[in-house]
Parts: sequence; C-alpha cells; structure tokens
Amino acid sequence: MRTPPLAGLKVADFSWVVAGPVVGRALADFGATVVRIESGTRIETARLMQPFYQGRTGRENSALYGTCNAGKYGVTLNLKTEEGRAVARDLARWADVVAESYAPGQMARWGLDYASIREINPSVVMLSTALMGQTGPSARLAGYGNIGASVSGYQDLVGWPDQLPIGPFGPYTDYVGPRFSLVVLLAALDHRRRTGEGCHIDVAQSEIGVFLLSPQLADYFDRGTVAQRRGNQDEQFAPHGVYPCRPEDEHQQDRDRFVAIAVCDNAQWQTLAGQLQRPDLAADPGLADAAGRLARAGELDDAVAAWTATQRAQDVEARLQAQGVPAHLAVTSADWARDPQLAHRGHLRGLPHERFGTAFVEGPRYLLSETPGQVTRPAPALGQDNEQVLRGLLGYDQARYDQVAASGALA
Amino acid sequence: MGLLSGYRVLDLTDERGLLAGRMLADLGADVIQVEPLGGSRARRAAPLGERDGPPYSYLWATFAANKRGIAVDLDRDQGRHVLRQLASRADFFVESLGPGVAASAGLGWPELSEINPALVYATITAFGHDGPKAGYAESDLIVWAAGGPLEPNRDGDRPPLRISVPQSFLNAAADAAGGMLLAHHARARDGRGQLVDIAAQACLSLNTLGRVLADPVGDEHPEWAALVSPTARTDQSGSGTGTSSHLKKWRCKDGLVEFHLAIGQAAGPFTNNFFRWMHAEGAGRDTLLRWDWRILPDLVERGEFTEADMQEVRVATAAFLAAKTKSEILQAAIAYKLLCIGVSDTADLAHSPQLAGRDFYVTLGSGRRAQTMPGRWATVSIPAFELRRPAPELGEHTDGVLAEWLGYDGLACQSLREGRAIG
Repeated sequence: MRTPPLAGLKVADFSWVVAGPVVGRALADFGATVVRIESGTRIETARLMQPFYQGRTGRENSALYGTCNAGKYGVTLNLKTEEGRAVARDLARWADVVAESYAPGQMARWGLDYASIREINPSVVMLSTALMGQTGPSARLAGYGNIGASVSGYQDLVGWPDQLPIGPFGPYTDYVGPRFSLVVLLAALDHRRRTGEGCHIDVAQSEIGVFLLSPQLADYFDRGTVAQRRGNQDEQFAPHGVYPCRPEDEHQQDRDRFVAIAVCDNAQWQTLAGQLQRPDLAADPGLADAAGRLARAGELDDAVAAWTATQRAQDVEARLQAQGVPAHLAVTSADWARDPQLAHRGHLRGLPHERFGTAFVEGPRYLLSETPGQVTRPAPALGQDNEQVLRGLLGYDQARYDQVAASGALA
Repeated sequence: MGLLSGYRVLDLTDERGLLAGRMLADLGADVIQVEPLGGSRARRAAPLGERDGPPYSYLWATFAANKRGIAVDLDRDQGRHVLRQLASRADFFVESLGPGVAASAGLGWPELSEINPALVYATITAFGHDGPKAGYAESDLIVWAAGGPLEPNRDGDRPPLRISVPQSFLNAAADAAGGMLLAHHARARDGRGQLVDIAAQACLSLNTLGRVLADPVGDEHPEWAALVSPTARTDQSGSGTGTSSHLKKWRCKDGLVEFHLAIGQAAGPFTNNFFRWMHAEGAGRDTLLRWDWRILPDLVERGEFTEADMQEVRVATAAFLAAKTKSEILQAAIAYKLLCIGVSDTADLAHSPQLAGRDFYVTLGSGRRAQTMPGRWATVSIPAFELRRPAPELGEHTDGVLAEWLGYDGLACQSLREGRAIG
C-alpha cells in the first residue's frame, strides 16, 4: 500500500458551515491530520442544519456537519479569551495549512490573520474563503445562506420563464467554492514543496459561481446577451425536461415522482417517439432535426408528459436507457441511498459511531486507484479531542493543559 | 510564474471536461488541448455566437482559454503514435470522451501507464467506467437528476427545476482538477502516477447540502422543501433552504431581491437588522420593531406572533423594497449586516463594482480574437496565476508543441500532416 498523498500534512481548520470545512474533509480523506476548531458555546451553523439523525434536532445530530467534518479531530476554543487565542496561535504555528471562512477582518481581531501567523510560521499556507473575498467594496457583505447564489447570478437562472425565479437548491456557491479552493490550495502546497515559500489564498465563493458562468459572461461582453431562465428546456436539445410520473404504488399516491429525459440527437428522437406510440410525431418532417424540435418544444413536452404520467419513473428510465435515450429518475434521498451505481463506487460510507451505531457520510468524489481516500473516523463531537490535540499534537504537559482547561478557554 | 509552472498536461477533454485543464493552465501549467482534425465537438457547444463565419462557442472560448491546441487524428496509427509519445512526456493526462473510448484508441490508463509510470491519468465520465449504469446514455440534465440536486428543487406543484446553465460536468471537471493534484502529491513522494476516476453523478451529492443523507440517517420529514410558515418545524440556518422560494423573492425598483425572513438564534439577528434599516428610513410602523426574530419560534408557540402578524410584516416589507434599487440595497446590506441582496443577472455581474475592484475580468487575445471573460478565480499573495492566451484555433500550436515536447522538426511535421495524422 502506498503512503496517502497528504500523510504528515498538518491542518488547522478554523472554517465553518460548508464551503471551508469541505476542503479540510478532502485533505483528511487523503491522509492529512486535520484539527477542526470551533466555539463550544456559539454553535456553528452546520450543526443546526438538517438532515438530523432520526429527525431529532441537536448539536451532535446533523448529518450535514457529519459529512463535512468526518476524519477530523475536534477542538473547542473560546477565542474571546486570551488563553483561547494562545492555543489558537499554537495550532497556527503547528500547522502547514490554516483554513478559515469568517467574515473578512474577524481573524485579524483574534490576532490570527495571515500577517500575524506568518510571523510565527513563515511558510504557512493559509486559505481564506469568504463569500465576496477579502477585498473590494462589498467584502463586508454578510456571507452566508443563499446570498451567494444571488450575487453570482444563479438565483435568476433557475425557474419557469413565466414566473419569478426560484434559484438553485441551497447555497450554490458553497458547493462550487470548495472545489476550486482545494485545487489552488494543493497547487500552493506543491509550490511550497518546490520552493519553501508559503502564501495566503483568498477564494471568493461568489467569484467561483461567476467563473462557472464564464460562457454566459463572454456572450454578454461580446453581444450584450443576458442569460435567461428557461425551465428545464435546453438551448440546443428538445425534448428536454423533467416529467411527472405515476406513483410507485397505491401506498405512495402522495409522493410525486419525476423522470428527466434529454433527447440529444435525431436517432434518440425517433426512439422516443416510438415509445410514446406517436407515429405522427416520428414521421413529422418538421421534427426531424433539433431546430424543428426546439421550435415546438412546448408541444413535445406535453406529448412526453402525457406518456410518462402513465408510467413509473424507474420504468421510464429502464425502457429508454435500454434503447440509448438519456433518461433518469429524479432521485430522492431514498433513491440515492439505494442507487446501484453509487453503491458500486462506494459513495455512501458507513462509519462505526458511538451514539448512532453507524454514521453515514458521502464518500470521496475522487477515486484514486493507488492511494484511495479513506474516511477514518466520523466527525467529532464538540470538544471531543481537546486533550488529545493539546497534549498529543501540541505537546502541552498535564499542568499546562489543566491550566488552559481551568481558564475556560476550551469552553 | 504560476503555482504549477513547469508541469505538462495533455488534455483530451470535450465540453464535459474542458474546465479541468483550464484551471491547471490558469495556475501556470502547460496545457495542450488535443482535438480531432475536424475540431473538438466543444466548438459547437452552447452558447453559440458568430464571429466571421463558423459558429463561435462561448463555452470553448472560455473553458479552452489559456491552453495551447494541437490537432491529431486518433483514428490513424501515426496519430495515435504521436499521442503516445506526448503522453510519455506529460505529467498529467485528462480525458472525458466516454467509457472505453480512450482505451479503444490505445490511450487507456493501462496502456499509457506502461509507457509513463509517473503519469497522473484522470478520466471524467457521467456515471463511471464500470458498474451497472456505466453504459447509460447521458446528458447534463440526466446526471443532475441522478446525482441528487434536481428532485428537491421544486416550485409549487410543477416538476423540479435544474439550473438553466448546465452545471453537472463543470462540477465534475473541477473535482477532476482536485483529484489530479491529490495524485500529484502522492507522486511527489514515490514518483508513481495513478488513475483518477471522476464520475459526475457522485460529484453532485455535495450540491444537495447533505440532503441525500436524510434517508440513511432516518430523517423522514417529507415537507423538507415546502416549509412556508414559522409555525412548522423550520430551517433556522439562514440559508432559507427549507423555505418556499417565492417567499424569498421580492420586487425592487430595478429587478428582484433575495430576502428570507430568517428566524432563530443564528439567522434571526439579520432579520432584526433589516427592520432596524426599515425603521431608520422612516418606513413601516414602529410596531414592526417589536418582534425579536431570534426567538420568533417561541413567540409563535406562545401565540404572540400569528399568521396575521406575518402578513403585516410581508406587506410592509414588499412596499419598502419596491422603492429601492439593487445598489441601494447592497449598500444597506453592508452597513446594516443584512441577508438581503439584489438578484444579479449576467449584466449585473458584468458591471459589478466588487468584481471590477478585484480585477476579476480579463481580456485574452487581441484584434478579432480578443475575448473578455472571468480570469483569475483566486487571489494569492504570491505570483500564482498566468492568464496568457485566448482559446486556441484548430491546430494552432501543433508544430510548436511537437517540436518542444518531442523534438520533431518541420520535415517530420510536414510528413505527418501529409499523412493526415496531424492538422
């Protein structure tokens, strides 16, 4: 077995909610020692967010927190206390990587900004990821929730053309930001390996959202095109949509089921028209190419929906896929957990857990053939590893540890 | 110099994977985009414009930017030979041609690892290279449906909605870049490459805010996305994820506003701030200040806050915001700490003072090839990014790359070109 890629890498993870912690999770999966630092009294938002084990709210029950922080050690620090800040400085000195996602300026108020940390740890690589970034006229915009999807263009790009937009599910920039943060962070670590030089990285989550709209921005700069929401229709393909299906069985009448279908070429169209038992459409010369089908997309959507309403979603998927037409059930959490392809990739991971029996987390998104990601432990309970981290990793002796604990810095 | 200067990347992706190489190129790597002699199918990917003649793909223009381009015919022995030679000199290889396609051209991981054991080889597919759905017909929407983020995103009774700009493969391509660098760090220890397998379906569970885990952990609240009233079990995160989308959109003078009347200890203070702003502007009655949104769930429980009160709040809020511009709301959001912001469209993004202030946009190329687009996607305290050139024209750098990487001279290239192996 080869050594994990990041074995020996030490990470002090001061970040919270999703966009920051997801980065530390990836580092932990691939061998880094990651210490997650949080307040024991001002509970971090992700701990208060669904889904909860057995549906019960509680600071130790969030599966979202669980999946963002698996594999990490957990320390609680009160950074309002001098002793708490002293421990934080020791962690920053110990670390190769310091990650944080507070509002710009907050780390400086604790004496934990890049300039201060670099004085005690000259080659540190620090990642700051805020909604708008560390600089600029809007840097101080309160950065969480779905504000990110608004300032990066996504709220406007999801919805029916005849209605107000609804935006994507949840805080979209929290999903795309960490992917880019990981890339630039790993590149910076390679630069440090080659040169010994550290750096401060500022990833504005909103900029990552805008970056993924690069083609639409280029189109705007070129021709003034403002991208529009178009329901589930596509610019190039039709029919293309998400269609209601028959309930699974008589016990599930109240559960809506949907299937996504995308016809991407003429052969797929002929196959679909055959399934619909609409020889009139199959033979219609006006529908023989994509341009013709796009012009009548609404009519085709109605025809497809009339057929799917009589079918179960998974049957539509199976029948169309058997003939090479792109189709898939719109998966719920229950479908996702039972999806054979995700199971094949080991994407749902169960970990032994003291309270839940088994904790469930998402697997690594990168399958490396020789050094696969390992989720070694579930996310920490609040303050779970205080003693192990301060004594074991920072080398505090018992007297020093007791002094810190007695001061209230670990509360 | 960029953070990845000195590394060579051989990029056989199409529109499903272009972004991965763009990210590495931006950080300084020498990324060579390989196309068939007829051009990449990504050159025909939407959105399409027109620039002197053939369709001009803005997707190609942006996500192939900063790369060099070569044209090689992989259906010919000589073309495949050139490609294998290049692979023997590359640090990274990335492809998104679909399960089995690269292998059928003799460019699969087993073949290339034999000639270059240090190669990091990344493959981007919809579902994976093996497994029960590996052979599925796919498109961006299909993957979005299979990965999780589609189903919960509903607007009333109508079917769930995707993002109108396809995102599935962009998320996967960004993950491919991350996976390649993880494998690179392993190689830095022992000199050996490996296969990095990225499936877009699996990448998208992150885009559900943990929702895909609800069933495994036994959270059975089917009303998840439909909560509208603070009287029900309510999302207190401030993200508004559990709140009906229509209740978070308001009209303002020049467009729409995103504002969630958030409650609870974490997010309630932002709502309190909003009503402080309203009051400071002389709008709404003093009574609007009497609610503490941090403890609103308790007020509801005690019957001190009713649906009628909620209605009054919403009417006053709507009237107030209708008279504001997005710009005024942004200023107030910063000054008062509000979770309230104008909904930006592409025009707003293009003219954003924040993005201008951070030098986000860049124009690459000049003359008829000039193209303005998002540029540096992170800000680093040392030289990190290199934004050098517009997307390549077909075969623009073939001779140069073959000379630099393989030492081919003009005669060798001419011979290959005459044999239709390169273009």
